[in-house]
Amino acid sequence: MPEAAIQTHKLTRTFGNLTAVDRIDLQVTAGQFFGFLGPNGAGKSTMIKILTGLLAPTSGSIQLLGVDFAANPVEIKRQIGVVPEGMGLFERLTGSEYLNFVGRMYGLDRATTQRRSEELLEFMQLADRPKTMIADYSHGMQKKLALAAAVIHGPRILFLDEPFEGVDALAAGALKALLARMTGRGTTIFLTSHVLEIVERLCSHVAIIHKGRLVAQGSLEELRAGISGQAGSKTTLEQIFLSIVGQDGTERPQLEELSWLM
Amino acid sequence: MVDVTASVSVFGQIRLVAGLRWRILRNSLRKKNNRLDLIGLIFTGVFSGILVLGLCFAFYAGAYASFSQDRMEWIALLFWGIFLFWQIFPLFVAGFGANFEFRALLRFPLSLRAFYIIGLAYGFVDVSALASICWLLAITAGATVAKPGVLPAMLLIVAMFMLLNVTLERLTGSWLERLLARRRTREIFLGLFVLSMISLNFLTPLMQRYGASARPAFLRLVPYFAWFPPSLAGRALAGVTSLQPAEFLLSSGLLLFFLVLFSALLWHRFAAQYRGEELSETAAPARAATRAIEATDDGPDRLSLLSPSVAAMVRKEFRYLTRNGFAYLTLLLPPLLVLIFSLNFGGRHPTVGGRGVSAEMFFPGMMAYLILILMAPAYNSFAYEGRGVQTYFTAPLRFRDVLLGKNLMLVSVLSMEIALSLAILAWRVGLPSAHMLVATCAAIIFTTVGQLTIANWSSITFPRKMEFGQMRGQRQSGMAVLVAFSSQILMGGISAVILFTGNWTGNHWLPAEAFFFLAAAALGGYFASLDALTRLAEKKKELLIEVLCR
Repeated sequence: MPEAAIQTHKLTRTFGNLTAVDRIDLQVTAGQFFGFLGPNGAGKSTMIKILTGLLAPTSGSIQLLGVDFAANPVEIKRQIGVVPEGMGLFERLTGSEYLNFVGRMYGLDRATTQRRSEELLEFMQLADRPKTMIADYSHGMQKKLALAAAVIHGPRILFLDEPFEGVDALAAGALKALLARMTGRGTTIFLTSHVLEIVERLCSHVAIIHKGRLVAQGSLEELRAGISGQAGSKTTLEQIFLSIVGQDGTERPQLEELSWLM
Repeated sequence: MVDVTASVSVFGQIRLVAGLRWRILRNSLRKKNNRLDLIGLIFTGVFSGILVLGLCFAFYAGAYASFSQDRMEWIALLFWGIFLFWQIFPLFVAGFGANFEFRALLRFPLSLRAFYIIGLAYGFVDVSALASICWLLAITAGATVAKPGVLPAMLLIVAMFMLLNVTLERLTGSWLERLLARRRTREIFLGLFVLSMISLNFLTPLMQRYGASARPAFLRLVPYFAWFPPSLAGRALAGVTSLQPAEFLLSSGLLLFFLVLFSALLWHRFAAQYRGEELSETAAPARAATRAIEATDDGPDRLSLLSPSVAAMVRKEFRYLTRNGFAYLTLLLPPLLVLIFSLNFGGRHPTVGGRGVSAEMFFPGMMAYLILILMAPAYNSFAYEGRGVQTYFTAPLRFRDVLLGKNLMLVSVLSMEIALSLAILAWRVGLPSAHMLVATCAAIIFTTVGQLTIANWSSITFPRKMEFGQMRGQRQSGMAVLVAFSSQILMGGISAVILFTGNWTGNHWLPAEAFFFLAAAALGGYFASLDALTRLAEKKKELLIEVLCR
């Protein structure tokens, strides 16, 4: 049986009366490019925050790379990289200073941190603004820098919350190639995105969360087969998503009500 | 092109904007904190109202006396008072942050004329404008009661004066907005502003020394003020009372000229904004770099004694310090204040009383004051982290490293500041006796380390986000302020009592011994607290992230 990189058991998180994540059992195999989907407010970001230690679960357990997160958070954090919601950058540092800071925080020695920072800045096409503070970067540049910081220590699991939002097509292409290469070398990537085409192109496995509950999980082929009833169907991820999430009929806005617009 | 909506009149748009402002205020009061703010606002409003009304009586009396006794130079002084208040007060408010709210209206289908009129209307609802209008009405009333015949001329001049003031205030505000749109400029402006306020303290010694000789030079400048709008308004009214129509026409004509000039300049500024003038930081991209990447720092690691994560924290804190204009100011303030206090109260050149305060009292007093100022930011030490705070919880480190890094940086700054102030004190006032010097130094260690433990707890428990280079809307958490205040009083009280025991018991070295004991206990307590605070940070991480990532 393949090794599980991420495994949760009845993971729950409540905020007062609201259950944002409701008894989720998730399994992501090592080396998978895993897409985590859901409509707005479904619980995607809450889930990624719990998995990366930014939020404590109300109940349930998490195992990353076979190690219980609650028992050994520091050891786990050494193995993972995160691009959190809002990117988590120190805006008063330059890109190079920030990468050096993060590298040292992850325990890399000075020379390695310096070398990797330079390589990453070069790769992300950020090396030509050495004195520019992150606060003055464009949104896309900040996103690229956040991704560079997430991979500087060579993580075994990478958590990405909307990594391509605001990134230009050229850079997005390079990033996708980088991520694909990382999965090829055994890194597990856990990605949330609203752009279903990107998820469909990159991810081999997908899970869909809706109103805090996990409503679908599996490879794209398994999900397609589940919807159309036959293997090898041409159903797109968007169709799968809409058929699962829109089943209760509350998700699709009624266009007839906006007749004055048409 | 077919219109999709009916056009709205300028006054209809003003009404809509006023309604929008009201709804924003009403909605902002839904939060509990803002309700408390409202109570504060009501208190401030009542006190300001009393002040404005009181001055209304003063302006009324001044105008009445001026017209009834034919002392028309007084009326110009009244206009000058209002003019300076109307123009300078908004600068004090604007200096603490950039306000783009008015420009946000540009997304709506407004004509340039409507944009200009709404812009002026905004100027009339400022606190300074409302107060000034009240005072101008009081002057009009006072003048009319003294000489009813001047009412038509008075109304004309006051109307022009009001319009001129509001136009000039909006013009200055618009230029200031452009200037302050850049963070760095905002920081420099703020620094200069605070420094100039502090520099006022130097006025007393300067006036005592040079006041008499500067007076003739100042008097030579006075005639030139006659060509400025407040004096012109006074001269126009003087022309009416002395039945000199030429004087009235010339002065009111010049006043009108100023009004037209300022209006044209304001129209030009608003037109630039209307066309979509971009003021944000990214409007002027940084000059392209001449080198590809930053030079590699291959030198020896000066922080090699520290663990990598603590050293990384210290470096990060140092960089944040050097990029925070306001922090520079807090570094500059302590030595400056020591200089000011020693000029006013010091031993060698006292300017008040015949005899200065002795070094024996002055030295511990100044050190306590320095610690009071420099330790204050430690009670909300994550204020400027912003979204970066998430890194502390995603990186594989213990939170004690974060606290240690921050505290080390603060202690380094504190040591440097105290050393500098000590040198100034030694120069200006002289050093105290050896036992007092040693006792004060030990007391500094005790109060600093003792406060660091409490400040770390406060920073984790009562975080509040703050922005670089801004003061408007920048407030510490009320609880953090209370904790800081209480612990500083406690530490200061303990230290004062111990210092005095030396005198009471006749054993001059007793305070030093007591402070060394307390400093050792504080150090032990500090290191023992780090693990507990790490656990607390883990419990409070959601609060920290929520508050600082807002």
